[in-house]
Amino acid sequence: MTAFTNRTLDVNGVETVVQIAGEGEPLLFLHGAGTITGFDSLLPLAERFRLIVPHHPGFGLSGDDPTVSRIEDLARHYLDVLDLLGVREVSLIGHSMGGWLASTLAIDSTDRIRRLVLAAPLGLRVPEHPTTDLFTIPNEELLEHLAADPSIFEGKVPDPPTPEFLAHSFRETTSAARLLWERPYDPRLPRWLHRLTMPTLLLWGDADRLIPVEQIDVWADLVPGAERRILPGVGHLLFDESAEAVAAAGDFVGEELTV
Amino acid sequence: MPSVFDDIQFYLFNHHHYIDVPENADEYESVWVDLPNALFDPERGHELYQRFARELRLAEALGFDAIALNEHHSTHYSLMPATSVRAAYMVAQTERIKLMVAGVPVNLSWPSRVAEEYAMLDVMSGGRMEFGFPLGTGMEYWSNAAQLNPATSRARFREGLEVIKQAWTLPGPTRYDGEHFNYRYLNPIPRPLQKPHPKMYIVGSGSEETVALAVEFGTGYSIVFVPIRQQLKAFADFRRMSEEAGREVRPEDIVITNIVYVADTDADAVREAKPHIESFFSWFHRVPPRYLLPPGYVSTEEFLRRAQSTALAEGTKATWDDMVAIGRIACGSPDTVADLLSHWAEDAGTSRLLVTLSIGDMPEWKAVKNMTLFAEEVIPRIRARGSRAAEAEPVAAGARS
Repeated sequence: MTAFTNRTLDVNGVETVVQIAGEGEPLLFLHGAGTITGFDSLLPLAERFRLIVPHHPGFGLSGDDPTVSRIEDLARHYLDVLDLLGVREVSLIGHSMGGWLASTLAIDSTDRIRRLVLAAPLGLRVPEHPTTDLFTIPNEELLEHLAADPSIFEGKVPDPPTPEFLAHSFRETTSAARLLWERPYDPRLPRWLHRLTMPTLLLWGDADRLIPVEQIDVWADLVPGAERRILPGVGHLLFDESAEAVAAAGDFVGEELTV
Repeated sequence: MPSVFDDIQFYLFNHHHYIDVPENADEYESVWVDLPNALFDPERGHELYQRFARELRLAEALGFDAIALNEHHSTHYSLMPATSVRAAYMVAQTERIKLMVAGVPVNLSWPSRVAEEYAMLDVMSGGRMEFGFPLGTGMEYWSNAAQLNPATSRARFREGLEVIKQAWTLPGPTRYDGEHFNYRYLNPIPRPLQKPHPKMYIVGSGSEETVALAVEFGTGYSIVFVPIRQQLKAFADFRRMSEEAGREVRPEDIVITNIVYVADTDADAVREAKPHIESFFSWFHRVPPRYLLPPGYVSTEEFLRRAQSTALAEGTKATWDDMVAIGRIACGSPDTVADLLSHWAEDAGTSRLLVTLSIGDMPEWKAVKNMTLFAEEVIPRIRARGSRAAEAEPVAAGARS
């Protein structure tokens, strides 16, 4: 299978690492609030697309950017990243916090986003089915909240956690806190989701303990014509847990191309 | 260079613990943030407020120079989530003694409101106030509104201090346009009584960033409970950076905190105090790392340093010897305690000693005995080391025998 090549971009002074694999139409993947499992599970997508997986500022291999304070900051950061990569139109997959980010980016740049996949996206306040507060989950219970299948962490999460692993995790949680500490949603997001007129797929695992699958209905009501796909028995890290999730995202993005 | 003993001052620091340790204490992971508040009995709380007020009034009667009070939230460590409220009560209960409020974490309030409340206290007390400004422990960021983001806490703290200093020193109304705070008419009435303003300290835990803030704002620097070696490094940084900024650090610009118990002999003191000081660490100080360090509260490098330090990671399991080795715990006869505190004061170059004499689950009688012995036997021994005191009166050591 294809492997990632890492490129390092200077995005307004923030060292931004972008993992790239494959050839073809560009497909940008925006990750959630952590990078501990890596992105190799996405590599099947590189067989059909030019897969672009940047690490957000303050996450993974990218440098810190303490000036980030709103999701819009990251959305504009990625408009700069696309410009630097010479990519004009792109399809977009956003997972979890990256789903909120992808929605925000697409709301402001409808003409650049061809097709959109929102996988267990964060960003809405759904009082009947609230998102679990990431910050109050004790460390020892975090993994069981993240995935229905704990085997995905084997070889990736040291047990017991080393100080270095905890520091890595603290750094990413700090970067997430810059965006999510006050509230893990944007009360104004529903006001603008009607702008997502590009073909959009909502993808969710029904064993998601972080963002309940019931939230998919709220998204479907707000995003015009969005398709839904629910994966049984799959938790929040759906692309790590389920090859079917990866294939579903790839099929949706590739649909138009094969017609 | 003046001797630190020429103007040595003793601040009685009373935490206002909710002193009852529950029988099932082992079942609670934390005494902060998520401790069930059903454990707090308001009737008992009333008794404790009365008791601590008696101790603070006694401090004035015994000749302490100041009372020090601080603020914490959602914990049995402290019954002062609104420390200005307590300070106002004690202003009315005392006549001479200074009061140090150390203090409202500026981030948990509006800086204009802190400036107003503190100015009220200064005017009401006739200018007896001093103020310490803490960033707030990590725990406060869990217990208060989530609108206070620990990842931006330092930037907001800095602006808050700027607002307070401006409010107190520039003739109002003034305008302030910041990133976190904006004021069209910053105009506190009352203004503080003391000129140019009450003594200010920034309270830190040794980080260079906080020391730099104290240098920049021209305040004193006070340090919370961290190992002595780190305290001395912070004071050295404070002196060096102040010198670079063209400012002299005076002995009253540094405050050290000490846990003290005095008895007739060293053995008596350790025997009487040990269980209570142990409860201070094992119960009142019980806080899991995730509450101590919310995301962004410290840098990743500082987090790693702390995660690698077993002494800190295992704080609640510390032995008595660990505690004595790490902290400023002076337990012993009047001579022992006077020697130790004098040595620490000289080492730190400070003339301001905060002493905690009522600690952990200590009963009132022991606290009163400790305070009395400290005031009658230790304070005179330390004061006697000052050049002026040496001229004025003979050494007080042994006066009690």
